Amino acid sequence: MQNDSIYVLLADDDEDDRLFFKVAFESIKIKTLVKTVNDGVELMNYLVDNQNKLPHILFLDLNMPFKSGMECLQEIKKIDYLKDVAIAIYSTSASEQEIEDAFVNGANVYIKKPHDFTTLKKFLEEVITINWHYLTSGLNRDCFLLSL
Amino acid sequence: MNKYTFFLKSIFIISLFILLFISSISYKHASSLETSADLLAHSYKIQIQLHQLQSYVKDAETGQRGYIITRDSAFLSPYFNSRSKINKSFASLNNLTINQPELQKNIEQLRKLIDLRFILLLNSLEIMTGSKTDQSLDENMLKGTELMNDIQLKIDQLVYLEKTIFNEHQKKYDHDITFTPLITLISLTFTLIMFILSFIKINKDLIKLMNSNEELLISTESIKHAEIIGEFCISIWNINTNKLIYSDNLYRLLGCEPNSFKPSVKNYLKFVHPDDRHIVANGVDKLLKKHDTYTRLYRVIRQDGQVRFFRSIGKFIENHGQSTHIGVIQDITPEHINNSTLQEKNRELELSNQELSSFNQIASHDLQEPLRKIQTFISLIKESELSGMSKSDIEYFDRIQNSVTRMRKLIDDLLLFSRTNKTDKIFEESDLNVLLKNTLLELSEEIEEKGAHIESAQLPVLKVIPFQIQQLFKNLINNSLKYSKISGEQMIKIGCEKIAAKDYPILNMESEKKYYKITVADSGQGFEQQYAEQIFTIFKRLHTSDEYPGTGIGLSICKRIVENHSGFIFAEGKSGIGATFSIFFPAE
Repeated sequence: MQNDSIYVLLADDDEDDRLFFKVAFESIKIKTLVKTVNDGVELMNYLVDNQNKLPHILFLDLNMPFKSGMECLQEIKKIDYLKDVAIAIYSTSASEQEIEDAFVNGANVYIKKPHDFTTLKKFLEEVITINWHYLTSGLNRDCFLLSL
Repeated sequence: MNKYTFFLKSIFIISLFILLFISSISYKHASSLETSADLLAHSYKIQIQLHQLQSYVKDAETGQRGYIITRDSAFLSPYFNSRSKINKSFASLNNLTINQPELQKNIEQLRKLIDLRFILLLNSLEIMTGSKTDQSLDENMLKGTELMNDIQLKIDQLVYLEKTIFNEHQKKYDHDITFTPLITLISLTFTLIMFILSFIKINKDLIKLMNSNEELLISTESIKHAEIIGEFCISIWNINTNKLIYSDNLYRLLGCEPNSFKPSVKNYLKFVHPDDRHIVANGVDKLLKKHDTYTRLYRVIRQDGQVRFFRSIGKFIENHGQSTHIGVIQDITPEHINNSTLQEKNRELELSNQELSSFNQIASHDLQEPLRKIQTFISLIKESELSGMSKSDIEYFDRIQNSVTRMRKLIDDLLLFSRTNKTDKIFEESDLNVLLKNTLLELSEEIEEKGAHIESAQLPVLKVIPFQIQQLFKNLINNSLKYSKISGEQMIKIGCEKIAAKDYPILNMESEKKYYKITVADSGQGFEQQYAEQIFTIFKRLHTSDEYPGTGIGLSICKRIVENHSGFIFAEGKSGIGATFSIFFPAE
């Protein structure tokens, strides 16, 4: 593993979305290391295993079998050494209620899965180049939902 | 009524006393008359006795005088008889004047005078016979005459005295008797008036009683008919006497002849469905403890075996110290069956609503997902393979892209349409001006692009579902913007006025009910009036997708929103001139 690359972890049950995600990062010029897990249970198992490196940014799909993204989010925020991981919600739906819940539970940013590849790339680029300190320090509800 | 009875009783008691009073007065009057007559008779008797006394003395004197003249001893018999007669007279006089001491005193004096006279008479006889010689006959006779005068005087005095006493008595009685008839007459008149008044009053009340009796009869008859028509019956249970009365219709509702069994809870329970008997039996126990209105539902098996649903409502009523339980029992079988059907329908409806809601879920997420992927894949291919594709390939991809975009829009609109209902939606007091302002802000880009000019009148504050009204404005203004003329300025005028329903035949209402009529009028292309109703039908479009993109759902959503608010929406169009949409919202 290269130390200077950004380590990105995606938890999403949809194979196509995982593919889009990987392809998008490959075509971005920034150096990244992308790992994907298939559901919430697998994600939690990965995170609690001390041998695994913690990601810089965790992308979390909300609608997953076995353990939903929201449940994972709540669990992560209860675990001391995990709670500082930057979390981006990456979901198809973006109802007011879901955005509100994610914000309250401590997610850093909310991305609604876009309808075209170009937008996806722009979103991901934005997220990994974001000033995380700014996002994590102040709870800024207004720019929580990412839009371009 | 009690007051009235008291009044009548008083009249009768007073009258009775007056009658008694009159009787006693009359009795007193009669006895006074009798006393007066007795007194008169008594007075005459005394006078007669006195006159007789005088005549007896005169007889004796006359007889002796005859003897002296004729010397015939036959003349002497009255003289001898008179003595005993005089004694008799005095005895009766004494009897008559037993309570009159003054008279008796005078009578005693008279007796002495008479005794003296007789002594003189005896002397005369003795002188005649010669046994007495010291006195002359003439002298004796003279003395006798004087004495006779004295006697006469005494008798006159006595008669006068008696008359005076009698007159005094008579005067007193006369006084009494004069006033008695007057008092009697007054009392009688008074009593008569009282009786007449009572009679009038009683007669009046009797008429009243007869009328109310008749009313009661009519009302009883009406209740009987009402019971039959309304399929209900009444039970009256007097707790104090434990007497139970069932109305005739109770028997009929049970399929029996009226009065075919003795009214009792036990007999009634025989008709109640065995599974429901506890409801009625427990109810009876409970209602003895509580004095509330209660309702019970149970089944009965009629005489003919038919099962019917009964509802009984009962209450205790305290009246004149009597505790009565009034029960109204109703055959609600048709209602019950209707209710069950309705409940079943409701359940089905709820189920169908749930299905619809899960369909919405599917449409919003699961249908959108593949579309999103198709779009992403296309854009991925276009980005990476663009250089290697033929011109026609690129065009095909564009067409696929357009179709997918349209599909997504359709799903979105359809979803919006299906969500436009009023279940769980909250109505709040909202200023429609604010909602319109928000809409215009939302559409500012499109308005600017079309160069449209928008004018708005003052809108009311109404109790609405705010986001739906905003959606309504958005769809209508969007519609106007979309169908604006290719050249020239597009005007959109939003007007508002308060109107009465009856002034607008289109509303088909005769009532005075007030409505707010909000109009959205544009100077766009308009449409043929014959399509005015069709445009609100879902998927109905007057143009092809190529001319004007759209799903044909927007105006259907408008109609649904207006209907959610108990309003009406109508469209008026003139091809090439413009379209006007009129919305009517209830003012209250």
